[in-house]
Amino acid sequence: MKTAARFFLLKIWAAGSALAVLSGAGAVVGFVIWRGAPAVRLSLLFGSTPPWDAVLGRVPVFDGLWPAVVGTVAVVLLAVGFAVPMGLAAGIYLAEFARGRTKKMLSVAFDILAGIPSIVIGLFGFSLSLALHRFVSVRIGPCLVLSGFCLGILVLPYLIRAVQSALEGVPLSLRLTALSLGAHRIQNLWHVLLPSSLNAIATGVILAIGRCAEDTAVILLTGAVALAGMPRSLLENFEALPFYIYYVSSQYTSSEELERGFGAALLLLTLSLGLYLVALSIRRRVGRRAFYGR
Amino acid sequence: MKRQDDGSRSERAARMILGAAVITAAVLTGAIFVYMLVLSFPLFTHGQVFRVLIQDWAPLQGRYGIRPMIGASLALSSGALALAIPASLGCAAFVTIFGRPKPAFFVRRFVQTMTSIPTVVYGFVGVFLVVPTVRDLVQAGSGRCLLSALLVLALMITPTMVLFFIDAMESVPKEYVLAASALGAGPAEKFLWVVLPCARAGLITGVLLAFGRAFGDTLISLMLAGNAAVFPSSLFHSARTLTAHIALVIAADFQSLEFASIFVCGVVLYAVNAAVALAAWSLRSRLLENRP
Amino acid sequence: MKTRTWLFTILCVALCLPAGEVFAGAYDAFQGKEGTIKISGGTAHIPVMQALAKEIMTRHPGVRITIAGGGSGVGIKQVGEGLVDIGNSGRKPTDEEIAAYNLKVHQWALDGVAVVVHPQNPVKSLSLQQVQAIFAGTVTNWKEVGGPDKAIHVFTRDEASGTREVFWEKALKKGPVAATADVVPSNGAMKTAVATDPGAIGYMSVGHMDASVAAVTLDGVTPSVETVRNGTYAVSRGLYSNTKGEPSALVKAFLDTLYSPEGRAIIEAQGFIPVP
Repeated sequence: MKTAARFFLLKIWAAGSALAVLSGAGAVVGFVIWRGAPAVRLSLLFGSTPPWDAVLGRVPVFDGLWPAVVGTVAVVLLAVGFAVPMGLAAGIYLAEFARGRTKKMLSVAFDILAGIPSIVIGLFGFSLSLALHRFVSVRIGPCLVLSGFCLGILVLPYLIRAVQSALEGVPLSLRLTALSLGAHRIQNLWHVLLPSSLNAIATGVILAIGRCAEDTAVILLTGAVALAGMPRSLLENFEALPFYIYYVSSQYTSSEELERGFGAALLLLTLSLGLYLVALSIRRRVGRRAFYGR
Repeated sequence: MKRQDDGSRSERAARMILGAAVITAAVLTGAIFVYMLVLSFPLFTHGQVFRVLIQDWAPLQGRYGIRPMIGASLALSSGALALAIPASLGCAAFVTIFGRPKPAFFVRRFVQTMTSIPTVVYGFVGVFLVVPTVRDLVQAGSGRCLLSALLVLALMITPTMVLFFIDAMESVPKEYVLAASALGAGPAEKFLWVVLPCARAGLITGVLLAFGRAFGDTLISLMLAGNAAVFPSSLFHSARTLTAHIALVIAADFQSLEFASIFVCGVVLYAVNAAVALAAWSLRSRLLENRP
Repeated sequence: MKTRTWLFTILCVALCLPAGEVFAGAYDAFQGKEGTIKISGGTAHIPVMQALAKEIMTRHPGVRITIAGGGSGVGIKQVGEGLVDIGNSGRKPTDEEIAAYNLKVHQWALDGVAVVVHPQNPVKSLSLQQVQAIFAGTVTNWKEVGGPDKAIHVFTRDEASGTREVFWEKALKKGPVAATADVVPSNGAMKTAVATDPGAIGYMSVGHMDASVAAVTLDGVTPSVETVRNGTYAVSRGLYSNTKGEPSALVKAFLDTLYSPEGRAIIEAQGFIPVP
């Protein structure tokens, strides 16, 4: 009897918790869709500018999200362009060459790097730009390439982890086959290990892209601004979707601007969920490590 | 024979290149901390080393203490944890033990997908949904307060925690659970006396990492907590976290002590999160050693 | 064909804007010029800067103008450090700032700082003493100043704000501001915060006010463009754009546009009083 009651209570609690989490997240997503959906039309992106001219960059876009979208894409490309080769190299080293104490120390270092709050990385980037501005060139300040670099630092540990665990997950039999046939380690790495863990690595890269695209604290400090137009130079300020959402939440001046803010939130949410689903479809079971901290 | 040489030469080259990358990444980790320390130096030379940590924020009176911000950050992240831990534990229990297979699978996928909701979207919804609701409900304050930020933050850290909890619960050896069944234990007993104790280390890891994430979050507290630089004394009061403080004061004069104070915030944030990462790491490595 | 559609669009945009009544003459100064103008600082300035940037960038795609907020303090510091070309401020830079950074100060408008409340708040008039007491935190309920029994939510601005500095000096007479007040980072954010909170009180640029907030009559004077212009409303200030030394040709063209009839029309349309 007592057992049954206990079981019943635990079950209620478990189901209640699941329901609470589901409805909480459901409320967030539902609210964004409910308020953002009316804003979804072509003018959300291009304002009053003819779309084709805007895409080709012939006419600047005002009252539209296009420059912010392009800014986000640009900053994500820069970040990934920096972080993926780095992460790949460091991950391979960690999985294939590092042993014993070195490996332990490096793992700890990357765990710490993964734990650094994004605002601290932003602060690092901001003060770095001040130093460069003073000692290297007055043309340098918070800008697109700086944001890209800092976002790259932000996702670097995730990438290293993804690559490392992908390589370490290769079955021993597969790992030894080529070696036993006389291939040396680099050949084995290049022709066997990397191709067979490509899916896992791609998943990691896609999740890193999502993380770069949604982070706000880093770009808030390193060069995102309210109005900049299409990005044209690496050394200039830029617009970005997450920054726009943050900006609108506190500074909207008209109901149209607020609607555009909800549209931007919906756009970013769709982008994030979309990237996640792509990652999921590549690899059914996405490693828990990928969600590690923020 | 020649092949062997080829192999060792290319291996050496690869080792060099890959090693350079790994060292750069590791150095970056340390460099960020050193950078924060160096730039907070002006405050240290003013003999304010420890006063900064225990004083109040009153820049007009020449006091640059970050005690209110430390208090707010701690209050906010522990409050969010207090709310999120029971919910996450229940959710994980539902997925692993109590739920029927189909709903359990759905909840698992749903929570996994939740991890991809952008933080700024949580904050945005908080501003237009949670803040007005809290204001109407408590009738004391503008609605921008610890409570609003806490509610949203709890929701944001929940998926990470749930996934860690599920992992921990699922890695409890099947034999233990079977042995408990053989002794006549029902699902409730198995959960309470076998799964929870055995999964303890994994559960704590999840809580630690969720705490680190809550402590380091900027957008939610910046958008929802009200940003008053006073030591938080009530859930319904406006408060400013360390992270929000950095975002708000970044604009100050670069030579001023105000500006230096944000690097002290940076040092504190870095140190706390590094400690969390270290604790989680040592827990995890002990876990791996003990595993059969 | 395409060019004609394009021209037509511009014409439409120009006609829709209040500034469109005048000729495009002032913008000819940008003819053949290329480059970027970086602007940051005062948040009261942003609508004017944005409107002007839109006019210029639409006509001369080679010119790029980036606009960031941050507050007056930021504007002055960043232009002084050479991080931006124009640093806006809602207060006159101090003599030390001007000397330290070799600033050139360009005032182009007059603005007031109004005390604002939610439009449904029945309290429409306060004395200076009452405002000081509310912001100091000694008066905490609207019923103490003739309103309903409802807690007062005080909103203030961050340390970099020029609006805060002017308000603190001229309305609060350098009196204290309760540390428990909510801090918002811009004029736009202040309007949003007050417009969505029935118990709120805050202060903001007169130019930024609209129907979503209600201005409070201060010691019998209602803050408006008129009362600021004729000097009866005392809590007023200039809007300044600062450059480090002499501005470059491109930046000078931008500043000149502010003083042109087109620029003045934009300034007026945004609720400020163009000067000189």
